[in-house]
Amino acid sequence: MKKFLTTAFLFTLAAVAFAQGAPAATKSLFEGQFTAHIALAIAAAGCGLAQGKAVVAACEGVARNPQAAGNIRTTMIIGLALIEALVIYVLVAAFAIK
Amino acid sequence: MEHHASLLAQWLTQVLHLSQHPWPGFAHGAALSILERYDHLLNAALAALVAMLFTALVRKNLSRIPGPLQQMFEGVVEWLKGMINDNIAHHGEKHLPFIGTMALFVFFNNLFGLLPGLSPGTSNWNITLGAALVVFGYYNFQGMKEQGVGKYWLHFAGPIWWLMPLMFPLEILGLLSRILSHSLRLFGNIAGEHVVAGIFFGLMPILLPVPMMFLGLFFGLIQTFVFTMLAVIYLSGAVSHEH
Repeated sequence: MKKFLTTAFLFTLAAVAFAQGAPAATKSLFEGQFTAHIALAIAAAGCGLAQGKAVVAACEGVARNPQAAGNIRTTMIIGLALIEALVIYVLVAAFAIK
Repeated sequence: MEHHASLLAQWLTQVLHLSQHPWPGFAHGAALSILERYDHLLNAALAALVAMLFTALVRKNLSRIPGPLQQMFEGVVEWLKGMINDNIAHHGEKHLPFIGTMALFVFFNNLFGLLPGLSPGTSNWNITLGAALVVFGYYNFQGMKEQGVGKYWLHFAGPIWWLMPLMFPLEILGLLSRILSHSLRLFGNIAGEHVVAGIFFGLMPILLPVPMMFLGLFFGLIQTFVFTMLAVIYLSGAVSHEH
């Protein structure tokens, strides 16, 4: 995990450095759509991890007690929707950024 | 967000010779007719009309031996009834007409994104905000009717009297933010799906958008389910008595 985060950080730095090497931009890099894209990527990554955990727990629950499958599925979908809502807020914010 | 009028609105503008003019502070001053400007209302009204048409058709041909359409609608009603009975303890079924109407409206609006030339009404925040506000008004009204006005508002303050000044504003804030989350969830999902399908369509109009459109069908169903389920949960929180 640590290695992954370090690598991701280095890549981000490299991207920033490359972008700054480009011919004179009128706007700062962290203005506008770049921010929206990075924010959405981070939100999607977190959402993916969280939803994966939720689905794993639901699968384990169904495997242990198949008779409760219906209730577990309903609860899981509600939970997934609530997790997904956070990404959707970021998406809406990304739409709002021109 | 950029404004894309549906093909239907553009076509109607051409056919009806509607005047196109810029709208202040909207779509960077592009010349739009009234139908193109209020595209979401057109599509939402159409979706509502289609839903009403289907239900009227079923109602007219009600029979003891149900046809395919009636069977489908009976399944939907049974499913909604089960959902309400699971969550609301007493006399939940009197809320079935309202919940069913919201579910059908949202469902048909979501699926309008899959028809060529139309755009889903729920991909505009105004429509989902309206739906969420109607749900908000309904469950507050039912809560006040069920528990009495004073008791309903007092239950936001919590059981401990000296925590009331802290709890009451927080609970009211939570109540109001429900409108935002309830509407933004539906809007963001449907709009996001529609935009991605549009980008795929731009890449390659044949075959490439099909998986995304299938996903759109699935998302439309799931989001209808979530919207309805949350409405039922909010309603059950408002009308349930604490013993």
